[in-house]
Formats: sequence, C-alpha cells, structure tokens
Amino acid sequence: MPEQSNNTQPLLQMIDIYKSFGRVRVLRGVDFEIAPGEVVGLCGDNGAGKSTLIKVISGYHQAEKGQIFLEGKEVNIKSPHESRALGIETVYQDQALATQLSISRNIFMGREPTTVLGLMDRKAMADQSMEAMTGLGLKINSTDTLVGTLSGGQRQGVAIARVIHFKAKLVILDEPTIALAVKEVREVLEFVRHLRSEGVSVIFITHTLHHVFDVADRIAVMAHGTIIADISTKNTDVDELSDIIVRGTYGE
Amino acid sequence: MSRFSLPKSTWQQLNWGTLSTPLAFLIAFFLFWLLSPEHRFTDPRNLAAIAKLTPDLGIVALGVGILMIAGEFDLSVASILPLSSYVFAQLLIAGLNPFLAFLVVIPFGAFLGLINGVLVVRTGLPSFIITLSTYMFWRGFLYVVSGLMPISLLRYIPKDSVFAQVFTGQVGPVPNQFLWYIALAVVLGIVLHLSKFGNWIYSTGANVDAARAMGVKVNMTKITCFMILGSLCAFAAMMQATRLGSFAATQGIGFELKAIAAVVVGGVSLRGGVGNMLGIALGVFIIQIIDNGLILMQVPVFGINTFIGIAVILFVILNNLTNREFVTE
Repeated sequence: MPEQSNNTQPLLQMIDIYKSFGRVRVLRGVDFEIAPGEVVGLCGDNGAGKSTLIKVISGYHQAEKGQIFLEGKEVNIKSPHESRALGIETVYQDQALATQLSISRNIFMGREPTTVLGLMDRKAMADQSMEAMTGLGLKINSTDTLVGTLSGGQRQGVAIARVIHFKAKLVILDEPTIALAVKEVREVLEFVRHLRSEGVSVIFITHTLHHVFDVADRIAVMAHGTIIADISTKNTDVDELSDIIVRGTYGE
Repeated sequence: MSRFSLPKSTWQQLNWGTLSTPLAFLIAFFLFWLLSPEHRFTDPRNLAAIAKLTPDLGIVALGVGILMIAGEFDLSVASILPLSSYVFAQLLIAGLNPFLAFLVVIPFGAFLGLINGVLVVRTGLPSFIITLSTYMFWRGFLYVVSGLMPISLLRYIPKDSVFAQVFTGQVGPVPNQFLWYIALAVVLGIVLHLSKFGNWIYSTGANVDAARAMGVKVNMTKITCFMILGSLCAFAAMMQATRLGSFAATQGIGFELKAIAAVVVGGVSLRGGVGNMLGIALGVFIIQIIDNGLILMQVPVFGINTFIGIAVILFVILNNLTNREFVTE
C-alpha cells in the first residue's frame, strides 16, 4: 500500500487502477508508486499486465478506474503527448528508433528545434545530440551516423540519450535488454545507473531478473493484473523472485 | 574521444544510396549520346523536347516520391490528373480567368488527395488498395461526366496568352515546364530535407510506431503528403492540358506505375523512410531518357516498356546489393 513513504513524496503514484479490453480485465486494482531517482524493476509473466500498466502511464491507454498522482498532483493522462509533457518518457524495445535515420534525427524526432526561418536547426540538433551521447559515455563519430549502423546497445543509448536530453523525470524502459549481447546488456545497465545519478526515476520492465536485479532498488512483480509482490532488492534475491513469478503468488 | 571526425560522417552520408541515381543518370545520358545515330540524342532540339515533356510525369513523381518516403502509395494519381484537367476545362468554359481557374483546381487536387489520405488513415487499410479503388472510382466518374470527349482549350488559352506563356513558354532555349519542375523540386526538397515536417515524413515512413510514440502526428503527416501529391497532379494536369491545347480523358494513363518506377530508380525504398529529392527528380529523367533514347535507336515503340522494365529491375538489384554492403560495413 502506498503509505510507506514517511517524508519523500513519490514522483508517481497510481491507486486502484483498472483497465479492460472488451471482456478481458487486464488490470484489476493496481497500486504502484515510484520515488524520485528510484529504479524499479517491473517483472511478471507474459499477460500479467505489465505493458498495459506502462501504457496507462505513457498515455496510450486510459484507466477505467483509479487515480494517478504526479508529484502529489492528480493527473489525467489522455495521450502520449500529454505524458511526455509531464516528463514521462517511454523507451519501447524495438519501436523507439528509425534505423534508416541519423542519430540526431532520431533524438529530436517529433521535437525538432527550428530556426527563425522555420527550418530545422540542424546545427543545434547535431551539437545537442553529441552532448547527450557523450554524456552517456557513448563515443560516436558523428550524429549524422545512421542508427541502423549501430550495435543494439548503442541503439538503446540513443533512445536513452533522447530522454536525458528532454529532461524526463520518469523513464520507462520496456525490455531494454531483450535480444542484446552480454556486453551490450552491461552497457544498458550502465545507462540506467547514469539515469539514476541524474535523479531520474526508472521503471525497468524485463523478463530477465538477473538484468534488473543489479540496478533496481525495488522489484514489483505483476500477475493476473495486480501487483502481487513489491520488495526492496535488499530484502530478497533472484531465486525468491523467480519463484514468485513462476507461481504467480506471494506469501503462500 | 573522437569528436572531430566529421569528414568520415560526411562521407558516410554520401553513400551509394545517394550517388547511384546521379550516376545512373550520367551513364544513361552518355550511353545514348554514344549509341543514338549521329548523336541525335544530344541534339538541342531533342534535349529541349525531353525537358518539355518529362515534367508532366516528373511533377507527379515528385509527390509520389515524398508519399513513398512517408510509407504510402497512390495509384489514383492517374485519375486525379485527368479529373483535375476536366474541372479546369469546365471552369474555363464557365468563363473563369485561367489563373483563377488554376487557383481553384490546385485545391481541388489537394481535396482528392485529402480523401485518399483520410480513407487510408481511418480504415487502416493499405494505401495500395484504397488508392486502387479511388483510381477506378474517379476514372469511371470522369468517363461518365466527360463522355470521353476531348475539350479544346485553345479558345480560352490561346498559345500566345500570358497563361500559356507562363506554363508552356520558354526562357531562351529552356522550356518553362522544366523550370517549373526544378522550382517545385527545390521547394519540395527544402521541405523534405530541411524542415521539421520533412523529418516527420521520414520518421513516419521509417518507423511509424516510433514516430507516433515520439509525438509525431503521423496521420496528419500522411494526409498532408497525399494532399501535396494531389495538388501536384492538378498542377501537372493544367500544364499538360495547356500544352496539348485540350482536355483529354486519356491524360495520365499509366502515370501511377511509371511514377513509382521512376521514384524507385530515384532510390526511394518501397518500404518507406529512404530516399532523397535529387534522386527522385533525376529518376524520372532516367526513365524518360531511356524511353527517348530507345526511340531514337529505332527500337519499336511498343517494345520500349520491356527495356524500361529490365532497367528498373537491374537498377534496384544493384542498389540493394551495394546498400547491403554499406550497412554491414
């Protein structure tokens, strides 16, 4: 329950969220919260409701019932656009980037700065993209490089550089380590630590507990449309968590 | 940190994808200069004819290229064009000044594009199917209302009138059609490559989900591209009708596929997100040069499509092969 906070106000607080698609109840009374600068792993089997929950946060779906508070204020997120305006950025696994376009065109996609003539300010785009990339420790020759020529880890870097540049308060990473080589996974986890050090909250969705366990402060496990366990990583281990996920229950 | 290796990046941008079309253009040009009897291909009169006739299809292809970069097709151009021409003729008959008629017909073309765009976005069906339907619908409609009869426009737009001069005259040896074509290509090139909207076009075509997730108004982008194309069809329709001195229900026949062929030769990907304005603008000329050159070499007119077909396939295969090399590099 969301009253455990003594002093710090949660960045995001969701209370009793319900969502159905037709007759299928996907979310049944979800309570979830995340503190500023906190990294929360969101785990659970396929169909547990993880992606629906994050789509409610990112404005793709609207909850039928329940309340969402951002920094203490109740919000009604009706579109991805509104979610982004509130400082919530979602990085989807495959669909985040256009591989045929350059790094800077990807970073500024949908939010291109313009010059007085109304044209794209390509100089600003290049400079700021380079800054965001090097800030993440990513070495690139040029921001004109096509994203399609980058490795999987570097691509996640581009997606994350984008959210850093736009000063997100909350970043939702949807399966950021799926289909990545070991070395690339390590890179992505490093990006997550970087986000936390910048004071950004991160919701990290994954099937692979090992990946998230190292970087997360807390793990929330979903099953059948509710959060069945919400445990600090200090008080648990990967074995216990996988057991919870597999059985779909917690505490007998 | 290697922050200052700009030369390499600039070189990366100038990959085969950007250079192949200009190269093919030059090769086709020199080949026919060499092979046409008495170098008739490069005879100024022949070049002027090419420059005069190519923009009819070319102006349509500019819009088809942009739309394909946005990830959509439009087969209905072959009907929007003659229908616009018919409306133009009717407005002239009604006594409208040709320039005023022009200002009415351009939005009319855009409106037909709007219908295509809205249908594609609202139904979620492939634009190929939607515009195949509107292609047939408008052509049938045109045949019924026009009774297939040509309408002479010479009474309303005499050859020496200002309107005819503006659209079909020439500056020195250069036909005005060619100048309009270049002007439109430059304006659209600026939109495509340098404007914010241009980045939306590429993003929508390259990865529609990503674009939507990043707040790009993908539906608005697609609809706008359909409307740009519709206006270009109307433009080409009036320019062609003025040159022919008449409306003809046969205007635009075959343009839908010829434009796609030209744009593909111009380096635009059928899957969207890839292409550039220089390539698109040259692609049409490559097709027209092959067409014209073969006629000069006395290849039977009815067999020319065979060669164009071969040229398109060869070009695309070559383009794919070299692009693949570039990406794995």
